[in-house]
Amino acid sequence: MTKQLDTVKEPKQETKDDVLVDIINLKKYYPVHAGFFKRKVGDVKAVDDISISLKRGETFGLVGESGCGKSTAGRTILRLTDVTEGKIIFDGNDITKLSGAKLRKFREKFQMVFQDPYASLNTKMMVGHIVDEPLRNFYKKSSKQLKPEVMALLNRVGLRESDYYKYPHEFSGGQRQRIGIARALALKPQLIIADEPVSALDVSIQSQVLNLLKELQDEFNLTYLFIAHDLSVVKHMSDRIGVMYLGNMVEVGDNEEIYKEPLHPYTQALISAIPEPDPTLKKERIVLQGDVPSPQNPPSGCVFHTRCPVAMPKCKEIVPQLKEVRPNHQVACLLYDED
Amino acid sequence: MNAVERTEVKQPRTNASPWAIARRKFLKNKLAMTSSAFLLIVIILSFLAPYITTVDISRVNVGYSGLPPSSENWLGTDTSGRDVFTRLLYGGRVSLTVGMSVTAIVIFIGTLIGSVAGYFGGFVDSVLMRFTDFILNFPFLIFVIVLNAILFNKVSGVWVLIATISVLSWGGIARIVRSKILAEKENEYILAAQSIGTPASKIIVKHLLPNVLSVIIVQATLTFAGMIIAEAGLSFLGFGVPQEVPSWGNMLSSANKSDVLQNKPWIWMPPATIITITILSINFIGEGLKDAFNPRSFK
Repeated sequence: MTKQLDTVKEPKQETKDDVLVDIINLKKYYPVHAGFFKRKVGDVKAVDDISISLKRGETFGLVGESGCGKSTAGRTILRLTDVTEGKIIFDGNDITKLSGAKLRKFREKFQMVFQDPYASLNTKMMVGHIVDEPLRNFYKKSSKQLKPEVMALLNRVGLRESDYYKYPHEFSGGQRQRIGIARALALKPQLIIADEPVSALDVSIQSQVLNLLKELQDEFNLTYLFIAHDLSVVKHMSDRIGVMYLGNMVEVGDNEEIYKEPLHPYTQALISAIPEPDPTLKKERIVLQGDVPSPQNPPSGCVFHTRCPVAMPKCKEIVPQLKEVRPNHQVACLLYDED
Repeated sequence: MNAVERTEVKQPRTNASPWAIARRKFLKNKLAMTSSAFLLIVIILSFLAPYITTVDISRVNVGYSGLPPSSENWLGTDTSGRDVFTRLLYGGRVSLTVGMSVTAIVIFIGTLIGSVAGYFGGFVDSVLMRFTDFILNFPFLIFVIVLNAILFNKVSGVWVLIATISVLSWGGIARIVRSKILAEKENEYILAAQSIGTPASKIIVKHLLPNVLSVIIVQATLTFAGMIIAEAGLSFLGFGVPQEVPSWGNMLSSANKSDVLQNKPWIWMPPATIITITILSINFIGEGLKDAFNPRSFK
């Protein structure tokens, strides 16, 4: 395994800095209808104006608590739902408004690994057919012709060739997630969005799947958008990290930067919540008060001001913009806005 | 980890596709298997009628009318002197053909409309479902009677009946399929299928329908039973299959004379009995299928 990895590592370096996906001011609102005539009474702002540039070959970790819009962001970037506003530029092509067959053609290049390994596989399909389906969609080949390729894929993700003939219910959660990864990998995509790929798995299985994802990244020169709420998982996986709160991106920066010196009060609270394996080490834990406000009616100004331990009066009025405070480290907070 | 392994050992491991499991459960269900055997016998006898019966089906002999069962006429003769046993087999042919054809057409239309409405939702759903409501609200009996009257003598009677019943009966299936698809399409594997670029038609046929097929099959058996009754009912009233064609319903309709009803039970008892038992066994098969497809039942 390691031999293989060494040989393909070189090209990753030189392409490190060019952008694969550019997400510009992405918004995804879900309209809320009420009353007899189904009048539109408002929007649930699931994703409210986020911008991300994914560089080729990097892993971008997207963290935030439940309901902050990270999964919606992932699905919207893959155009599994329509975009309300903003732009998605994939490898130089604007895919924001594509639909139907044109969009389907692009799906070859970006794939998704889903959160729930039990719901994301069709229980009525043989594993072999689950994995060869993307290939059959794009190449006019039969399952029989694709069989060697699919078996190699199953082998690559750590399954046996005999698993080709089995059905999803015969596998454990971790194995099913490997099937899901094989399916995402089948088309040799450039981008894989992993939507909490290990959150439904046992802790003992999590690391295996994460390491598999890392190996595959090196081998196939993949770019990951890694969505998770588990901070230690994100730390292990990511090159850069974006922190989301209530549909907004509050902080973006390099992995070490964010963990060593979180700038946004929300990120600080999140990081202080990571359990420490060493019991003698006492950490100061920042506990946030209250609940996440409704995304249908987000607070004015900075969306975090209702729970922020260091909120100032002006936070209620001014919407903070994402600003580069340190090199490669952006934050949207008025604390760093003095000048 | 241990618990997972233990439950896996319990299940039969050889070639355990979901269909294989359902088949095994069905084969173990005695009532359903007996019913299947009975239904199979009825179907075979009916469709082999010309090779089994010795009496000419079209023979009308008033001199022989209303004879009780004998060695020559096993179930006696009816008021026109026709052999009841012969007519029972030929009648089964018509009744079962009507039942099966109507079921096939109804399931096809219902599944098509229901799955398209359920999968696409929104505007498509509204239009298709309002159309379904329209069909469901049609006065069935009046429409069948009127259409039969208009098309009488123009097209062969049995097929007119099949067409009219089918066109008016798919509404319920469409609604059931739609509701199942609505629930099923929320699963992540549908999103996964979209994300790997599977076109909508393939998602419906390859992903959604196999997962709601159990419901469709159960509905099909119940529809089959219902349609045999519908044929019998319409024919009994005189608006179904043309009088000269034997069907179970037509045979029953001769019982509307009090003399026949009181004194000649061999004329109407055989079709009544065979309709009842056939319907019962089809329903038992339906129940058996429902059990077999239910992952939570371990009978």
